Amino acid sequence: MLDSSKFRIFAFSMRKVYFVFVALWGISVCSSCQHRTGADTGHATPYILATTGMIADMLQHIAGDSAVVEALMHPGVDPHLYKASQGDLRKLLDADFIFYNGLHLEGKLASILNKQKRVKPVVAVGEGLADLIMINADTYDPHIWFDVSLWKAATAHAAKELAQLDSSNATYYHANALAYMAQLDTLDAWVHAQLNTIPPRQRVLITAHDAFSYFGRAYGVEVRGLQGISTLSEFGLQDVSALVDYIVDRQIPAVFVESSVSDRSLKAVLAGVQQRGGAVHIGGSLFSDAMGTPGTPEGTYIGMVQYNVNTIVAALSK
Amino acid sequence: MIAFWIILTGALVAITCGLLGCFLILRKMSMVGDAISHAVLPGIVIAFLLSGSRETLPMLLGAGATGMLATFLIEYFHRRANLQTDAAIGVTFTFLFAVGIILISVFAGKVDLDQDCVLYGEIAYVPIDLWVMDGGIILGPRPVYILSAMLLVVILFIKVGYKELKLTSFDPAFASALGISTALWHYLLMAAVSLTTVSSFESVGAILVIAFLIGPPATAYLLTHDLKHMLAITAVLGIFIAFAGYWMAYWLNASIAGCMAVVTGICFASVFVAQRIAKRKSSPAMPGEAIG
Repeated sequence: MLDSSKFRIFAFSMRKVYFVFVALWGISVCSSCQHRTGADTGHATPYILATTGMIADMLQHIAGDSAVVEALMHPGVDPHLYKASQGDLRKLLDADFIFYNGLHLEGKLASILNKQKRVKPVVAVGEGLADLIMINADTYDPHIWFDVSLWKAATAHAAKELAQLDSSNATYYHANALAYMAQLDTLDAWVHAQLNTIPPRQRVLITAHDAFSYFGRAYGVEVRGLQGISTLSEFGLQDVSALVDYIVDRQIPAVFVESSVSDRSLKAVLAGVQQRGGAVHIGGSLFSDAMGTPGTPEGTYIGMVQYNVNTIVAALSK
Repeated sequence: MIAFWIILTGALVAITCGLLGCFLILRKMSMVGDAISHAVLPGIVIAFLLSGSRETLPMLLGAGATGMLATFLIEYFHRRANLQTDAAIGVTFTFLFAVGIILISVFAGKVDLDQDCVLYGEIAYVPIDLWVMDGGIILGPRPVYILSAMLLVVILFIKVGYKELKLTSFDPAFASALGISTALWHYLLMAAVSLTTVSSFESVGAILVIAFLIGPPATAYLLTHDLKHMLAITAVLGIFIAFAGYWMAYWLNASIAGCMAVVTGICFASVFVAQRIAKRKSSPAMPGEAIG
């Protein structure tokens, strides 16, 4: 056993340590007081940081080649569970403008971004939109990108904000935004047309967690989720048996898993339906909170929507 | 400047939690931090249902209240039901956490509400979580102020109550014979622990707080059995871990809290191994004797 007297050197270090900290803290406060607000980080073209892939894709279309756009969250990352690394922090500090979804999609990060508004331009693309789905008082469903027309409104909002932030390119941004919004209009019409090919009785989207409310409202699809939005709200036994009854009664051909959520709960439903002689199968995996890998068609917003709709139509039209 | 703020925050949390952790280890109550991290859930849900918002302040108040309730229940079961501390901790936090889950399912199933997204902060965000005055003057990261204040309170608490805390931790019977109320000092310590942990959760997240609450004091406990030395070693270790953890995260581009927690574990393991080797060298016993 080591002799404790060897550590006499530490006898007063607690107090010393604290004095050192107070001194350092004082110095740093004084030095940081001189840094006044301002986002001049010395980039030739604006460096725009978006939280999710969907927002980065939207801004890339608006900004074209006059800005560098990057997504903070990598493909496949659930925004509710995202944790920043050392490099992510550097990006947040380095960015000229930050665009995020808002409506509490980003959890704790959003409340910090909200405070950053006083230091550098931060835009919540989803906040302030009309026609948001209210869950509770002051609480809205954040998954706005599933309704293409709503995403178009968010694009218009983002373009307006970006044009104000970087007014020298304002006309360029507006032109780009209009072109992209035209593409979204085409996409919206295509989604309507595709989903109308599904027999009305089978136009039901069953997934593990409640992310598709906007999709259901916009395209006349009934949406059923097994568990709530929170990762902690577990499904109850009644939820499972109610869903099993529903699937058997309505003869729903398929249910869907999501790329970022476990399919364990849906397996229980499948087993229940099969016991009662129903024939439901898993219709495929949908992209919900994150897009596919960059470079693939599903790595863009439009490609992701097309993939989801094609998967749904193929599985439910049988 | 990023490095400075993060290391300072890490060191502040490490010292504050470590100093209290020393007393928790001596009382065999180290896991109380983990218990609080789970037990705050019903408080968060109730605060959300009452205030209708997920802003930090109501969440912090709700979490603080249930954190206190949890430590109170743990102490109460331990004293009145004569339950071991680990059993008292286990019964209390699983119960409170489960109440929270049921409250979410029944009242707020469609709201994204859990500790991770409404309460737990992230040490990486400290440099951008600024306190900005009305005139646009930036006074530095907000968590640094909160944590500095917490550290001051904890140091003051230990300084004022050092004798009482020490006696009630080591020899409760003797402490009562001297007329010191063991219950009062237990509850005071537990109140300090729940305030510290909840406010630290809000600044740096749960896992780092739990690691700092147990790791440095446990390492110090290997080195000395003198309480004053243990407190001092814990503080110095905490600062070292904050430094080493940050630079490890920098080189690996990894989670800062994760790296600090790993360094905490490495510190403990290396002290443990070094001590085994030193022990073997200082007493070159016969192989047969070593077994006995």
